[in-house]
Amino acid sequence: MKKLLGILGLFIVVFGFTAVQNPKFISAYNMENLLNWTGLFGILGVGAAFVIITGGIDLSIGSVVGLVGCLLPLFIMDHGVPVPLAILSVMLIAALIGLTHGLLITKLNLQPFVVTLCGLLIYRGVARFITADQTMGFGNTHGDLRKLATGKLAIPGLTEATKFDLPIPFLILFILMVVGAIFLDKTIWGRYLLALGRNEQAARYSGIKTDRLTIMSYVICSTLAGFGGIMFMLDLNSVQPSSHGSFYELYAIAAAVLGGCSLRGGEGSIIGVVIGMAVLRLLYNASNLLGIPTQLEFTIIGAVILAGAIVDEVAKRLVHRMRQAKQQR
Amino acid sequence: MKNLLLMAGLACLVGITGCNGNGDGGSGAGGTTGGAAEQDEFGPIKTGSVGEDEKPTVSFVTNGIASFWVVAEAGANKAAEDVNADVLVKMPAEGVADQKRILEDLLTQGVDGVAVSAIDPSGQQDILNEVGENTIFITHDSDSPFTNRCAYIGMDNYDAGRMAGKLVKEAIPDGGEVMIFVGRLEQLNAKLRRQGVIDELLDREPDSSRYDEPGKPVEGEKYTILDTRTDGFDFAKAKAEAQDAINKYPDLKCMVGLFAYNPPLMLEAVKEAGKTDDIEIVAFDEEDGTLQGIVDGHIHGTVVQNPYEYGYQSVKMLAELARGDSSSVPEDRFMNIPARQIRKDNVIEFWTELNQLLGKEPPEGAAETSKKEGE
Repeated sequence: MKKLLGILGLFIVVFGFTAVQNPKFISAYNMENLLNWTGLFGILGVGAAFVIITGGIDLSIGSVVGLVGCLLPLFIMDHGVPVPLAILSVMLIAALIGLTHGLLITKLNLQPFVVTLCGLLIYRGVARFITADQTMGFGNTHGDLRKLATGKLAIPGLTEATKFDLPIPFLILFILMVVGAIFLDKTIWGRYLLALGRNEQAARYSGIKTDRLTIMSYVICSTLAGFGGIMFMLDLNSVQPSSHGSFYELYAIAAAVLGGCSLRGGEGSIIGVVIGMAVLRLLYNASNLLGIPTQLEFTIIGAVILAGAIVDEVAKRLVHRMRQAKQQR
Repeated sequence: MKNLLLMAGLACLVGITGCNGNGDGGSGAGGTTGGAAEQDEFGPIKTGSVGEDEKPTVSFVTNGIASFWVVAEAGANKAAEDVNADVLVKMPAEGVADQKRILEDLLTQGVDGVAVSAIDPSGQQDILNEVGENTIFITHDSDSPFTNRCAYIGMDNYDAGRMAGKLVKEAIPDGGEVMIFVGRLEQLNAKLRRQGVIDELLDREPDSSRYDEPGKPVEGEKYTILDTRTDGFDFAKAKAEAQDAINKYPDLKCMVGLFAYNPPLMLEAVKEAGKTDDIEIVAFDEEDGTLQGIVDGHIHGTVVQNPYEYGYQSVKMLAELARGDSSSVPEDRFMNIPARQIRKDNVIEFWTELNQLLGKEPPEGAAETSKKEGE
C-alpha cells in the first residue's frame, strides 16, 4: 500500500499541475481519451505484472500485439472466419505463445529474457510475412465489433453539460484490475506467485509447484497481450505489420515497475500497475496540452518519472530514519 | 537557424565536390560499374558495362514498409520485366540503421545499381556516398541532393505541399486555424510538404528553402497554422495527437496529415469527437481509410504521388545506366513524377485503378456508398 502512495502522489501532482495550466485538460472529451488509452495500454501492463512478480520478464508483448492485430483482420476479412471464432482463435494463439514461453523457461531452464526476446523477433516476422507487409484493417465494416474498443458507456444521471461517458477499454481494465488484485492478494495461488518471486527455491521446498505457476504467469501475460492486441486493432482499425505494437512491452514493463513491481520479483500490486500506466499516459497527454515541443516529449516524461522515483526513495528513507530514531528513544 | 543554413551550404559544397571526385574515381573503377562517365555541369553520370543480352541486377530500396511501397514494388517488377533486369525490392523495417544495413549488404552483393528513398538525407550522406562510389546510385521519393547520386526520381514535395494547401483553401475558404500532423520532420519530403502547405496558406512567393520552425504558430491574414505534431510512426500516438489537438483548440477548422497513415487516424479522432461537420481534413497519399473518408465526405481531398511510376522509372533508369545508356537522365537530374489532387469527384476512378495495380478487388464499400448516394 505504501508503494502505491508514491505513484499516486506523482499522478495527483502532474494531474493537478496540468489542470491548472490548461483547463481544457479536464474536459470530458480529454478525460475520456485519457481513460481509453490507459485502458488499452493498462491491459498489457496487468499481464506484464504477473510475469514480473515471478521475477521473469516478457519482451514479446508488443510483437504479440502486432501479430494478433494482423491475424484478426486477416481471419475475418480475408478468410471469412466468423467473428467469435476469429477472436477465440487469436486468443488461443496468444495463450499458446505464453505456454511455449513458460515451458521453455521452466522445463529447459532458458532465460526468460532470451526466450521472450526471440519471441519478439519471431512474431514480428510472422506478422509481416503472413500479411506481406500490407496495412490491415476492417475498412468501414464491423462497426459493431469495433465498439468493443471505441464504444463508451454513458454514466446515468448526468446532464448534457456534465456528460461523461466511460470508455469500454477502461471498464474492461477496471474489471481486470479487480479480478487480478483479488487473485493476487486473496487467493492461495496469488500468494504462491509472490512467494515464488521472492525465493523460488524456498517456495519449491515448501511444496509449491513453482513450474506450473511460472508457466501460468506467462500464459496470463501473453493472453492479455493478445487481448490487448485485439483491442488496439479494433480501436485504430489500421495495423501496419512492421510497427504495430512496437515497444509496447516497454510501456507495460515501465508501468508495472512504476506501480511498485520489483524487477527482482516477489513484489507488486495490480492496482499500482494501473496507476503506473495512467501516469505514463497522463504524461504524454499533459506534455501535449502544456505545449511542450514534440521533440522534448520523451525528455519531459523521463525526467518527471525519474524525479518521482527520487522523491519516493528519499521520502522512504526519511520515514525509515524517523522510525529508527523513535525506537531508539 | 543561421548555423543550420551555413551547415547546409557546406554540406552542399562537400557534396558537389564529392560527386566530381567520385566520378573521376568511378570511371577507373573495376566491376560492373566501370564504364564511361559523362561530364556535364552536375558532374558525371556513372554508367555500367552490362551487355545488351545480359541481365543487370538492380535494387529498389524504400524508406520503410507501407502499402505505398507495395504499389511501387509492382511498378519496379513491371519495369524489370520490360527491360530484362532482375530487381531486388528492399523495405527497411527499423529506420536508418536498417536501411544502412540493407545498403551495405547490397554493395556486398555487388548489384549493378541502387535506387534509394533516403530516410534522413543529410544524416545518411556517408553511406549514400559510399553507395554512389561503388555502384550506380539514384534516389527516388525522398531525395538526397548533397550526395553523389546521378538522378532523382520523384515529385516536387514542395509543390505537392502547395497542392495540399490549395485543398485546405477549398475546404475552409473563410480561413481559420489549421494543424499539421506528420510521422517525423527529419525527412526532407516531410519538411518540404509542410512548408508548401504553410506558404500556400499564407500566399507567399514559392521558395522551398524557407523554413518556419515548428512549435510556434504561423499566422497569416486568413489562416493560422497552430502547430506541427510528430508521432514517430506510432499509430496510437498519431491518433492521440489528433485527439489532443481537437481538445486543445476548440476553433480548429482543418487538419492536414502529411504521411499516409495520419489522415485515417485523424478521421477516427474527429468522428469520435463528433466533429465531422466542424473540422475538415486534407490528406496525403492513398490509404483505404483516406479514400473511404473522401467517398463518405469526411475528408475534403488528398494529394497523391505515383509510387508505381517511382518503381517503374527507377528500375528502368538503373537498368539503362547499367547498360551504358544515360539518355533517360534529364539534364537537371530530376525526373518529375507530378502529384495529383483527388477529391470526391475522381476518387472512385482513382481507387479502382489503384486496386487493379495492387491486385485487389475493386473497392466494394466505395461502390456501395456511391450507389446509395446516387439513389
